[in-house]
Amino acid sequence: MSKGFASNYRIWLLAAVVFLCFGCVGARLVFLHVIDRDKLVRYIDKARRQIIPDKARRGDIVDARGNVLAASHSQVVVGVDPQVLRKEDEAKWPELARLLDMPFAELQKIFTTKTKPLAQGEGAAEAGDDERDIRWAKLSENTSEEVFEKITALKIKGVYGDRTYCRAYPHNQLASHIIGYVNKEGTPAAGLERFADFYLRGQDGWRESEKDGRQREMAQFRTREVPAANGFSLVLSIDSAIQHMVEVELEEVVKKFSPEKATIIVSDPRTGFVLAMANYPTFNLNEFSKADMAAQRNIAVCDQLEPGSTFKIVAASGALNEGIVSPESHFDCSLSSVDYKGKPRSLPREAHPFEHPVLSVSEIVAHSSNKGAAQLGMLLGDQRMYDYARKFGFGEKTGFSGGGEIDGELAPPSKWDGLTITRMPMGQSIAATPLQIHCAMGVIASGGLLMRPQIIREVRDARGERVYRFDAVSRGRVITEHTAETMSYLLTKVASSEGTAVQAAIPNFEVAGKTGTAQKLIGGHYSSTHHVGSFVGFFPASRPQIVISVIVDDGHIPGASMASGALVAAPSFRRIGEQLIQYLDIKPVTAVNRPLLALGGGHL
Amino acid sequence: MNKSDRHAFVNQMLVYTLVMICFTGSIGLGTVWLRNQIAQTANSIKLYENRTAETERRLSETTTMIASEQSPDVLIRRNAEWRLGLASPDFRTQIVRISENPEERLAAKRNREIFAPQASLQPVKFVLGGVR
Repeated sequence: MSKGFASNYRIWLLAAVVFLCFGCVGARLVFLHVIDRDKLVRYIDKARRQIIPDKARRGDIVDARGNVLAASHSQVVVGVDPQVLRKEDEAKWPELARLLDMPFAELQKIFTTKTKPLAQGEGAAEAGDDERDIRWAKLSENTSEEVFEKITALKIKGVYGDRTYCRAYPHNQLASHIIGYVNKEGTPAAGLERFADFYLRGQDGWRESEKDGRQREMAQFRTREVPAANGFSLVLSIDSAIQHMVEVELEEVVKKFSPEKATIIVSDPRTGFVLAMANYPTFNLNEFSKADMAAQRNIAVCDQLEPGSTFKIVAASGALNEGIVSPESHFDCSLSSVDYKGKPRSLPREAHPFEHPVLSVSEIVAHSSNKGAAQLGMLLGDQRMYDYARKFGFGEKTGFSGGGEIDGELAPPSKWDGLTITRMPMGQSIAATPLQIHCAMGVIASGGLLMRPQIIREVRDARGERVYRFDAVSRGRVITEHTAETMSYLLTKVASSEGTAVQAAIPNFEVAGKTGTAQKLIGGHYSSTHHVGSFVGFFPASRPQIVISVIVDDGHIPGASMASGALVAAPSFRRIGEQLIQYLDIKPVTAVNRPLLALGGGHL
Repeated sequence: MNKSDRHAFVNQMLVYTLVMICFTGSIGLGTVWLRNQIAQTANSIKLYENRTAETERRLSETTTMIASEQSPDVLIRRNAEWRLGLASPDFRTQIVRISENPEERLAAKRNREIFAPQASLQPVKFVLGGVR
């Protein structure tokens, strides 16, 4: 029998070596996994573990027809590490400068500046050096993917790109005050971007993983992963075509009358949804940093002014609703004062003389008589006048979903002086936002209901599924449906040859509305040269589908003593109305030819 | 224990040790292969994720570009540049509002045609036995 390999001492030696090796490995493993475990795990955690954020994409804002008004799109922040630039790439620098649309000298300066001075407290003492290497210098922060592809194709070592989502507004200044913007820090700063940020922003995700020596993620070591939840999209009630019509008209108003400010609001009275809202001055959302703060204010909701004669609808509606007067009740509008609560109260002057000083309520509205409105207010009394003003939505926020609005000013009767009851019915001693004035006219157009002005119709998730739908919200009944119908009829007289705003009349359509020409309060006195001209109206009067407000602050008409609402606002109302009739296919309603029955009783 | 038994035991132990080393080694290699497969799969998943993200980025960029091209200002400019001559009809001159009821008018027209004088109608001839 052969002794074999095991027949000598070498077998023992080999066995001993093998066992010794295993022993060494075992001992090392004990050191690594038991004795030094905590220290090594900490080191690995620090060196290899990484948490990679997964940015959520901000939701889009689209108009009622699905046109994108605000979207997030990818942009590349291009930068350079000047330490790793190669000499042979220098010939490509001019092409890179061209692609980045920056002067070559500027690019050259960035590329050749390799160090920068240490800031205070940056450890200069330890390093013993007062400069440090630049490892990243920004070249451009809004390079498109297409351009970045060309930059990558140049293969310049040291030029990198970092992709980020940034906000883009494809329609530039269209509806800028409503949409608002997200600033360069990514903070929503104004408009719906700010007030609907809760829906739009989404939820960032993250994943825990490990990286290799070249800082690349080792995907196999992913441990936890929380996916990003993209933001919801907003569907607005704004129609970009109507918004465009309104903005073009506003430009015309600015060209013709050079106003300080101007606002146009268009809405559906049946639901309160705003179809367009434009202001002057305005700004380009993509260049918000160049616009001054005054231009960025949505003056339709955050500016207040005296409503002027447009407020007469409150006194007239109140008096009719209470049954104190009928459309044919007559008032002597030649009086200079009237006794009220045992004291004579002087009546305001009329803006223009009347042929016959005794006017019916219908004529007071049509001719915009200040004295007549004051007498209607006095018939109502302090408290009821105040109550109706509140009911029409003055003195409190409308609840506009675009945010940023103010209350306006409406003092309670306890703070009124002796003249307030004669001045408030004609729209003085009260301040309101353009949107409040618009909503007040909406009360008559909607049949007596004060609707909440809304701008967001729907909220949709990232897949386009509807998450929430906003419905019309009534803030309460202000006047009866019958009173609203009566007022509609009376207001049609305004936009007729016998009224103050024949310029607002649209052929074949019943237009109801009210002009306003408010003197501006300058230095505590009513100015005779600075006015706010307005026209607020709706059509078709018998079946209202559209309410339009045009308010022009301090317009100037060459050769005219004042820029009245009839001159500066009513023509714009008509032009917008004519376009909307075509765009929305609004059918004319047969004119009301019914005679005023029981004139004393008020039935139409 | 005699010498031959001892040798047999050592031989057996050596064989078992070698088998165990081979077995352990193959398990080790298998684990490495498995981990490599996991790494490859994870990397390919990462690649797909990156491609998806890239596609989403392209999509959002294209959407923004399309939206820009559809803005009213751009459309009006294109209309002028390409001389398309698209314009909304003039409200006062090109649109005629019909105040009467069109249904009644069409019905009246139809009635006029039906009850028009016989001369305007083709007489109907009846032939006995039909046409041959």
